[in-house]
Formats: sequence, structure tokens, C-alpha cells
Amino acid sequence: MPKTDERLDLRNAVSLDRPWITIVWDDPVNLMSYVAYVFRSYFGVSAEQAESLMLQVHNNGKAVVATGNREAMERHVVAMHGYGLWATLAKADS
Amino acid sequence: MQFRQASASAGRVTAEFEPVEIGLMRLAASQLIDLLEAAETHALGTSGDPALRRLLPDAYTDDPEAAAEFRRFTADDLLERKVRNARCVLATLGEEPLSEVADEPDDAALHAAADSAEQPVTIDLDADDVQSWLRTLTDLRLTLAERLEIGPDGVPLLSDDEAPFLHDIYDWFGMVQESLVYAIDV
Repeated sequence: MPKTDERLDLRNAVSLDRPWITIVWDDPVNLMSYVAYVFRSYFGVSAEQAESLMLQVHNNGKAVVATGNREAMERHVVAMHGYGLWATLAKADS
Repeated sequence: MQFRQASASAGRVTAEFEPVEIGLMRLAASQLIDLLEAAETHALGTSGDPALRRLLPDAYTDDPEAAAEFRRFTADDLLERKVRNARCVLATLGEEPLSEVADEPDDAALHAAADSAEQPVTIDLDADDVQSWLRTLTDLRLTLAERLEIGPDGVPLLSDDEAPFLHDIYDWFGMVQESLVYAIDV
């Protein structure tokens, strides 16, 4: 089998792998205005998107705020902890 | 106390604080630094202090090994940044007032001391200071919430003599934080 095909197979295997997600959990302490501000300023989303993510956290107890590879999600989680938000990472759909 | 945008330059905010409010912020930030500096990051996962566990929560809910590994690589740096933020807050509060006036102060010195103790103090923050304030106020509220045993519904379970006072401070920190968020939100 030619080398190029091998490389192609590998790339497929990687992209088919389940991605990781960053989850922010609801807590009774952080203010809604602050949580929305964090989403806006850190993830760079619009005010409307930040508000809707914040309401998801508030109403559903948690929200997925980012999806991607494990390293990127770990960076997001430590950044959220820096803001004082309760965040974890997990494999998608786990 | 109400932060508002400073007119001159972008990202700057300003507020008038009562001396008693300055004293409270200074005391709280100092105590937070003590708590953070006494923390042993390697033992945080099993730390008996729920406030520290909340300030540096597990990154993995169902994988203790991965959570411990994550902590090993990130906790020291995170703690250091939290301490740096609290120190920045202290620095923006200005010099610590002299606790004692000279043994036999003259009238003028006494009046000056009394006046300066009652005058509101203007606190000016640049964009970096604001970030440190927002984070430190959060860390202070998280710490107080553990002390007050605030449950998932937001109601404190603690009901000893100190509870009403702690709860007032908790609410006040929230008010300061919200005024900061609104002041920079343009």
C-alpha cells in the first residue's frame, strides 16, 4: 500500500475519534452578569451567545462551552478556574 | 461605592470607597493570600478545606488519576496567579494607614488623622487591575460561600453569630463585582 494512503487513513482515524468538551457547571455563588462576561471576554462570543450559554448553565446545571482536542480543553478548563468558574473536561457523549 | 468608567481613557474605571470599605477589602485580600499561600497543591485533591477544593476544582469528574495529573501540572501556577491578583488588589488600595498617631500629637496632626479617616477614597483601576479585582472578588465570594455553607439553592446553612456579618460582606463583594462588570461592559 502506498505511503500516502497510510497517511490518509491515519488522518481519518484522528478525525473520527470522539472530541473532548469543556463543561461549565452551575454554582450558587457566581453572578449571572459575571459568568456572561467571562464567556464573552474569554471565548470571544457575542453578548447574545454569552447570555444564552450563561442561561444554559443556570437553567440546566451545566453547558458545553467548547469542543476540540484534549489539550485545548485543558487550557480552557484551567482558564475557567482562573476566573473562579467550575469547569471540567470530558470526552464528548461520555 | 459604585464603579463607573473613567472618562479619560478606555478600560479605566473609578469608584469612591469609604475608609471602612477599604479596610474590609484589605483584610479580606490579605486573608485570601494567607489561605492560598498555606495551600499544599499536592494534597489539594484530598484537602480538608472545601474552600481550596472549590478554588481549584477537579478538572475530571470521573477520572481521579487524570484529575490528579492535571492538578500536578496546573495547580501551582493557578495558585500563584490567584495570589498575584490579590496582591494587585492590595496595591490598588493604597498605603496601609498608620495605626498609631505619635505619642503626643499636636492638635493639627490629630485633626488631619481624623479627617483622612473619614474621607472617601478614590480607587482608580486600569484594565489589568480590573481583571485582578474581578477574579479576587470571585475567589473571596467562593471562599465565603464555603464558610457560610451556601447550598445549591444559594441559601446559607450557617447560622451562628458571625453568619449575618459574613453574609453582608458576601453580598457587598457581589455588588462591587457587578458594578465592575457593568462599568467595563460598553
